[in-house]
Amino acid sequence: MTEPTLLIQDLTYRYRGTKENAIESINLALERGEFLVLMGPTGAGKSTLATCINGLIPHFHKGKLEGNVIVCGKNTRDHTVAQMAEDVGLVFQDFEAQLFSTNVELEVAFGPENFAVPREEIGQRIGENLAYVGLSDFRNRPPSTLSGGQKQKLAVASVLALQPKVLVMDEPTTDLDPISKMGIFEITNRLRQRSDLTLLVVEHETEEVLHASRIALLKDGRLVKVGSAHEILRDVDLIESLGLMPLGITRFFKDMCFETPAAVDLPLLPVEAETAYRNNSWQVCPQTYEALVAKEAETEQTFRAKEPLIRCRDLEFSYPNGVKALDGISLDIYPGDIVAIVGQNGSGKTTLAKHFNGLLLPTGGMITVNGKTTKEQGIFRLGQSVGYVFQNPDHQIFSETVYDEVSFGPRLRGLPADQIKARVTETLKAVGLEGAEEEDPFSMTKSGRQRVAVAAVLAVQPDVLILDEPTTGLDYREQRSMMDMVRRLNENGSTIIFITHHMWVVAEYARKVFVVKDGRLFLEGTTREVFSHEQALLEASLRPPHFIQFTNLLGHTMLRPAELIACTKGGGA
Amino acid sequence: MEAELYLDYNTSYHRLDARTKIIVFLCIFIGVLMFQDPRWLIPTFLLVLVQLLVSRSAKNLQRIRYVLLVMSISSIVLWNFFASGATPLFWVFDVESMYYALGRTILIFSIVTMGVILISTTRNEELIMGMIKMGLPYRVGFAISTSLRLVPTVAASLTTISQAQRSRGLDLESGNVFERVKKFLPLLVPVFLSTIRNTNIFGMALESRGFGARDDRTYYLQMQMTKVDWAALAFFFLYVAVSIWLNVAGYGKIVGLVRF
Repeated sequence: MTEPTLLIQDLTYRYRGTKENAIESINLALERGEFLVLMGPTGAGKSTLATCINGLIPHFHKGKLEGNVIVCGKNTRDHTVAQMAEDVGLVFQDFEAQLFSTNVELEVAFGPENFAVPREEIGQRIGENLAYVGLSDFRNRPPSTLSGGQKQKLAVASVLALQPKVLVMDEPTTDLDPISKMGIFEITNRLRQRSDLTLLVVEHETEEVLHASRIALLKDGRLVKVGSAHEILRDVDLIESLGLMPLGITRFFKDMCFETPAAVDLPLLPVEAETAYRNNSWQVCPQTYEALVAKEAETEQTFRAKEPLIRCRDLEFSYPNGVKALDGISLDIYPGDIVAIVGQNGSGKTTLAKHFNGLLLPTGGMITVNGKTTKEQGIFRLGQSVGYVFQNPDHQIFSETVYDEVSFGPRLRGLPADQIKARVTETLKAVGLEGAEEEDPFSMTKSGRQRVAVAAVLAVQPDVLILDEPTTGLDYREQRSMMDMVRRLNENGSTIIFITHHMWVVAEYARKVFVVKDGRLFLEGTTREVFSHEQALLEASLRPPHFIQFTNLLGHTMLRPAELIACTKGGGA
Repeated sequence: MEAELYLDYNTSYHRLDARTKIIVFLCIFIGVLMFQDPRWLIPTFLLVLVQLLVSRSAKNLQRIRYVLLVMSISSIVLWNFFASGATPLFWVFDVESMYYALGRTILIFSIVTMGVILISTTRNEELIMGMIKMGLPYRVGFAISTSLRLVPTVAASLTTISQAQRSRGLDLESGNVFERVKKFLPLLVPVFLSTIRNTNIFGMALESRGFGARDDRTYYLQMQMTKVDWAALAFFFLYVAVSIWLNVAGYGKIVGLVRF
């Protein structure tokens, strides 16, 4: 029997200054050429485990390590991180911070240079690896001018240039748009077929891990289950109980009590699902579906009858360096609505949203909020009616207690002390952080800090709330509870505008969708309409969730499994 | 936001070898120290301005215009406290000390401008390579370039953070200098935290790619001194030689100046 490429034996680790083990008694062996995906909720210890493999634990992060990690016969205890780099490559989630060269070529060269690879060979490796990830045309570009997806591809190339035997990727696609995600997974897929490389990827997008050979589920630092990818993904109940996102398709068939021919054959992919649906001689009931669509059309009419809250006409914006970020956008957003703005990384979504609260002023066209232009209102006054939650809560939070943070806005606006106190209590309740006034925001989890950031903006009671990527970096359960909270705010009268890359979030929570592409409004409509244009979405680097793709194959766009269940008749149902 | 300091142009100045540019920088540094009298500093100053134009780096100088303005004004005023002369003007200001302060200001201005030109025309890697080729240990060179690299990152996060706070109603644009500084201070907390966080990832990424794995190391980037480089060096060496000679011969001093 051959020695496994990666062997983890009874691994337990505790970060210095913490009381609990981050990971506990992990045993795992990966054969050469295997592709394992590590999944689990926030705080399960996924990143900890990933950083153990190349020796960042215990060499970079100090703490208490028990057990062994052996890669290609080398124990991480006895080798520095740099020495391990020849055998283990690690790609980080944050694609900004892991690139540091001024030139794509030199970025790739950095690793081999450290191992004194001869210059000619470095040149060869640069060529090969850039070609492998599809960046050959960018050889002399500064990495800062690349898109998010390209940056992550570059990070992969620069790690591959070291010709490692094990490649570890820690949530490589979290901050990327759906098509860039697919680009990374397409690379992963090709890597998987290379028998000389063992892959370990931390991921929580279930649709993307279908190609893995095995999946390991992690919770509270322990391995819950390790099994073949298909076996694990079919276990929707287990996945859901861990707080991970189940596959919509599989969920649907499970809920339809699709027992025949056997539970092990629950469909996973849209095409499989379509076949299974038809084989079971199920049909979509046209009346039920028409009623669904008619109701949405009616809602749309009610909104259109109102006076728009935000109105853009031929909105243009150019940055001082001449780059045109917005190129003639016209749209209306009505009070009480909940809309999503989607598009590729760098399409202009955030630039557009920053016009809604006057943070940026148009260089052409016009934008009015509540009937007045943003220019005449100014950001200070506009901030009262339009709240903006930035993508990264850490860019916003600076107070030592949650109370100080949340009361910052009301204090600036000169509210009396007793009112401020009531405001804070009320807002914290709205975001599900009751009684957290005295906590230190910096010691909270990412989702906790995200909530504090939302609360801080809500505290000035704006009519409109803009959320930039509110679900990024959160696990499925946290994403759900975050968006449920946003929906409640909407039901209580706030107008909600959110920017996101998570298509399922759009499907579940938005009433209306604006698709931005290259600074223009590419597509707009109710969520159902937009998702029915699968081809057009693809052009904007977007892709509906598998479940919606499946219903599109059936000829009707359904946003949730529950809708399709309600519309399905005949067969075994 | 565009926060890179390097300007990706292809001027003849950009094409110079990094070593040449570092030496030119040092030459000007030595040159300006040779004169006190602002009138004698004019040729050096013009030389710096010509380089600024040729390298098209004025854009980066413009970015730090406020810093330059504050620096120049305080320099013109403050040097008077450290020198005096024979001809009183008013209070601590004398004609000679005024000349002196003006000269020092030109000196500071020239050195800063040369620094800006160097950074605007030389890629980070070329700069380290140049320093290493001139005998600096790799790790030291890398540390210097890392600190330079931090500038755009910090600037970018500062922009985002101040936007986030302005959205919450923090008015950063009104009030006098002190009020503005006071309002700005809390913003430094998230700036520091995100910088520390980024630096941490940066450190991990470096090690994960084998930084310092071995004592020896190859360099992909190759540098070649050309005829233009040698010509430039010859010119600037001549400049330094003449400056030193003039200094030794007693030119460029301010008569009647007493420094404390």
